[in-house]
Amino acid sequence: MSARRSRSRQAGAARITDEQIDDLMSKLQAILPEARLGRNDRVSAAKVLQETCSYIRSLHREMDDLSERLSELLSTTEMSSAQAAVVRSLLM
Amino acid sequence: MAVPNAVGESVLAGGGERKRKRGSEPPLAKWRTEGEQRIYSSRLIEALRRVCQSSDSAPSASSSDHVRSCAVREAADRVLAVSARGRTRWSRAILSGRTLKHRVRPKARRPKPVSTACVARAAAQRRKPPALEKKTRVLGRLVPGCRKLSLPSLLEEASDYITALEMQVRAMSAIAEAFSAAGSASLPPTHANPMRTL
Repeated sequence: MSARRSRSRQAGAARITDEQIDDLMSKLQAILPEARLGRNDRVSAAKVLQETCSYIRSLHREMDDLSERLSELLSTTEMSSAQAAVVRSLLM
Repeated sequence: MAVPNAVGESVLAGGGERKRKRGSEPPLAKWRTEGEQRIYSSRLIEALRRVCQSSDSAPSASSSDHVRSCAVREAADRVLAVSARGRTRWSRAILSGRTLKHRVRPKARRPKPVSTACVARAAAQRRKPPALEKKTRVLGRLVPGCRKLSLPSLLEEASDYITALEMQVRAMSAIAEAFSAAGSASLPPTHANPMRTL
């Protein structure tokens, strides 16, 4: 049912041109870290999608690690409002 | 609100670089400004305080390491979604879908029945090869709330999501460093809990 709905929506909406997709792909390529794709030469759409997926996964992993680390730090440091102020001052 | 740094300002003032479709396209540059990161950091610290307090008052079973780090991760994601100000699909999905994470996943990924006719028809309608189709689907699963999005919208959401995630990582790293520094500095203990010297 939802597949039918999305298909008819695509037919009703403006035709998605290859140019539009290319444009968005190159914008996405610009966001990915340079080590993953060459910045100058255009890469295939499949490669951009693949690198995007693996980059998001690695960001998620980093987030999990950071959450664990912060969680450990929180358990050993008593988080009073005074210390929240100290931490904030270290950041600003 | 803090004045954005020079980079952010020039990109925003440039304007011509990003064409605004119906005024709905969120600028990525905001995720890279210091001001945005500062706001995120202070909101997150407040949220972390609440995580601390709730794990202190709750029975010891629920304050196991894994539960607490999940709570930290959820708080970080929630604050990030709030920072998006409801302009993106992924942020709205995070804010509305938090409870689902704790529930059992409704179905295991059902195997998609792929017949050649079906694939050909789908490819013709979506005007992209099946190889892209599969990768698009994978990407749709990685970005919250974007499973059934068209490719252009998905790419927009993905770029905003990635830039936001990068800010989140930067902010949390800085907070973790600040906590380490605060922990090792000689602060007077406010409670009986001993401070760990690093």
